[in-house]
Parts: sequence; C-alpha cells; structure tokens
Amino acid sequence: MIGAEVTFDVPIPKVIWGWLVSTNMWAKSIATGSFLLGLYFIKRYPQQDNFFRKWLPILGLIFIGITLLVTVLDLHHMFRFWKIFLHPHFTSAVTLGAWVVSGFVIVLLIAFWSWATGKKQLFDRIMIPGFVLAFFSTIYTAGIMGEATAREVWVFPAEMVSMLLSALIAGSSAYLLLDAIYNNVLQEQVRRELGYILFGSSGLMAAMFIGELMFAKMHSEFSHEVIKVLAFGEVAPFFWLGMLFTFIVPMVLVGIANEYRNYRYAWIASLSALIGLWLIKHAWLIAPQSLPLS
Amino acid sequence: MKLGFLVDLSRCIGCMACAVACKAENDVPLHSWRLRVKYIDQGEFPDVKRHFVPLRCNHCENAPCERICPVSALHYLPNGIVNVDHERCIGCASCMMACPYNAIYLDPITNSADKCTFCAHRIEVGMMPACVVACPTHANIFGDLDDPESEISKYLKNHKDVMVRKPELNTKPKHFYVRGSTVALDPLASERPEGFTLFTEVKYLEHIGGH
Repeated sequence: MIGAEVTFDVPIPKVIWGWLVSTNMWAKSIATGSFLLGLYFIKRYPQQDNFFRKWLPILGLIFIGITLLVTVLDLHHMFRFWKIFLHPHFTSAVTLGAWVVSGFVIVLLIAFWSWATGKKQLFDRIMIPGFVLAFFSTIYTAGIMGEATAREVWVFPAEMVSMLLSALIAGSSAYLLLDAIYNNVLQEQVRRELGYILFGSSGLMAAMFIGELMFAKMHSEFSHEVIKVLAFGEVAPFFWLGMLFTFIVPMVLVGIANEYRNYRYAWIASLSALIGLWLIKHAWLIAPQSLPLS
Repeated sequence: MKLGFLVDLSRCIGCMACAVACKAENDVPLHSWRLRVKYIDQGEFPDVKRHFVPLRCNHCENAPCERICPVSALHYLPNGIVNVDHERCIGCASCMMACPYNAIYLDPITNSADKCTFCAHRIEVGMMPACVVACPTHANIFGDLDDPESEISKYLKNHKDVMVRKPELNTKPKHFYVRGSTVALDPLASERPEGFTLFTEVKYLEHIGGH
C-alpha cells in the first residue's frame, strides 16, 4: 500500500493568531528597544541625555500603548482582560507578560513625568528596575511562544535572543529616524554608534534566521514542513521581503552611512528595518500555524 | 481516581454516532467540534484501507493548555479531567496555540474556549460520556486508570499496541488508541487536500474570531 489521504474530516482552524499579534510583537520591540538603548545612551553620553530623556518615554508610551491596544483587541473577551490581574495563573507566560508590561508602563509614565518636569533624579532612581522590566517585557513573548507546544520552530532560548535583537534593531532604527527628522540633532559619534548597533543586531538576527532555514528542518518532520511554508509557502513573500528589508538593506545602507559618513542613508536603513521587522515577525508567526495538528 | 479514554480503532466503523451524540449532549455550535471522526484512505485500488480516527481532547497529565492559560480557565478536576470555565476565559486563544492535538475551539456563541470534558457533567452523576453510550461497537472504552479492575485498565494491560498521539511532546495524554497506526495518528503521515471529498469539504477555517 502506498500513500494516504484524508478523505473525510471537518473544517479545522488554521491561523489563530494573526496580524494583531504580529503588530503586538513589532510595537513592543520599538517600545522596549528604545528604552533599553535610551538608558545606554543616557549613561554613555550624558552630554546628549536630553534627547534620550525626552524620546525614551514618548516612544515607549506610544508603542507600548499600541502593543496593549492590539493585545486587548485580539482577545475574544476584551472586557475580561482584568481577570489576568485578579485570577492570575503564574505558570503562564501570558500572565507574567501582563504583569511585567504593567510595571513597565508605570516606569515609562515616571520617565515621562521626569522629562516633563525636568526632575532628572526621578528617572535616575528607577533606571535599574526599568531596565529589568524592559528586558522581561521584551522576552516574555518568547516565553509564550515556548509554551505554545503545538507550534514548531518556536523554541524558547532562540526566541528570547531573537526578541532581544528585534528590540535592538527597532530601538536603534527609531532613534536614527528621529535624528533624521530633527535634522541630525545627535552627535556624530552617537549616530555612528546607533548605526553599528543596527548593523550588528541585523547581522546576528539574519544569522539566526538563516540558521533556522538550514538546520530547523532537520529536527523533525513538522519543523521541516514549517520551514517549507516559510521559504516557499503562503508566507514566503513576507519572509523574504522581511529578510531583505530587515537585514540586507539596513546592513548595506548603514555600512555605507558609517563608512562614508553620509548619514542620509541611515534613515532609509532604519525605515527599511522597521518595515521588514513587521514582515518577518508576521511570517514567523503564521508559518507554524499552517500545519495540521490532528 | 484518574479518568482515561481508550479507542479500539479496529472496532470503529466511522458511523459518527459519537460525534453526533457529543454535539447533542454538549450543544456544540455549528463549525465547532469537541469530537470528530477523521477518515483516512490508504493505498491504491485494489489494495486499499480506510482508517477511522475519533479525535478529542487527550486530557493530558502535563497539559500545555492548562499551563499557558493566563486565568486558569482551563484547570484540572480531581479526577484528572482538564475542564474549562467559560466565565473565566478571556478568549486569548493561547490554549489553542498550545494544544498539539487541535482539541480546543473558540465557541462562536460564547466567545470562550471550549473542548471535550469527558462529559464531566454526566460523570458527576455517575453516567458515562455521551460518546461512549452512543458507540454501537463499544470502540470507546472509558474508566478509571487507577483501578486495576476497570475495563480500560485491563484493556491497556492486555494490549501491547497501545499508542498515544505525539508522545514525544511529553504531554502524557490520558487518551489511548489500540490497533492504531502512524497513518491514523500522525497528521503528517497523510495528505490533507482541500476540497470536496466523500461527503463534504475538507478544508481549513479562515482566521477565527472577528479580527
């Protein structure tokens, strides 16, 4: 006997988490990335800290706001969201994420208040808890993906590194874009360093995705199928455009910008990275959902 | 007490009585299933075989859905059943992302996650699950795994070909199959072409929910 085919079944769900979840991850990368990098630059370049003390909370609040909005919109019972706080189940990365992000929002509000009132010490006092909360806000989605036992190629340690690199790409891109919009207000050294961060994190993340393409398919038949969907299936355009816009274009353009000190290329690289990041996250989210589970 | 389920696939005739009984007993809405029976045809004429595979929640001892649920809407009952609290559910669909058996659906009427509960409401009053009662060939065997004298325990003891779905995931399912095969239990061991087949269309539902 050869071959087997399903000849009778009921329609079963395919995509369960869609573009709202992709947008959640994308916006959260910008919020946490701009916070983590903002802290670094405030400490490293105190003479330029006004720029970062202003934009760190503004970017953070806008994009964590988008994250929370799409998260709640994606719930089929959005008005029961409060139950996460009153009936928390702490084995769930969803619960941990909700609590950590809530703490992060408080830190961002304090950071905003600190900038608006000019009381720098206020923000200085919460930098360490802010760093911890931003870090865990970045990686909790990796925990959710790790707990999603049904889905192949979402593996916790790799997803965690991927989320951190996404945050670095998104944070550096956001600051480079702001710098361009405000006619190069940053010192050249700061701009170059942002470029190097974008270049390095893009390179590392590209290596991770190429590694997944090459090796994940060897783990199991399910992984093999997911990689086929990713590379050649319905989400392939998202994936390959994501690879182009998130990694290749930014690395080339930022490389040119820093090498030839021609920084107008940097903002194009940043815009490309931000667009590409959404595309590749969407492809990565959808591909494992394309497999039949039963 | 640890309740478990066993399907003797050699007895299943694919009549769907279990699926219909489940729908009626639990008032399962259209386009949603707690229990379904999949047909898989294997081979080429004249050397052909048809497999019937009833699929339901596996009530795992290490249930990914229970672990990922942020509000404990999915929870264990003392008898091992993984139960759902519809009022607690926030509809995040994390359980659907975590369940490797595709056993959970979002009820389009209540907007809450739902699934087979081994008819917990019937068990509570000493009755068997509806699918067990409806099965004309006694392919469904249900009982206490902790009781060595129960039919299911004896069945498990006397059969060497006991299988569970996706054992490699360490979910420790409490739903067993005997006289099964890889073709019957591994979703990638058979093609799943979309389109009109025996009686109806085999297809995927579009993105669930209202978004």
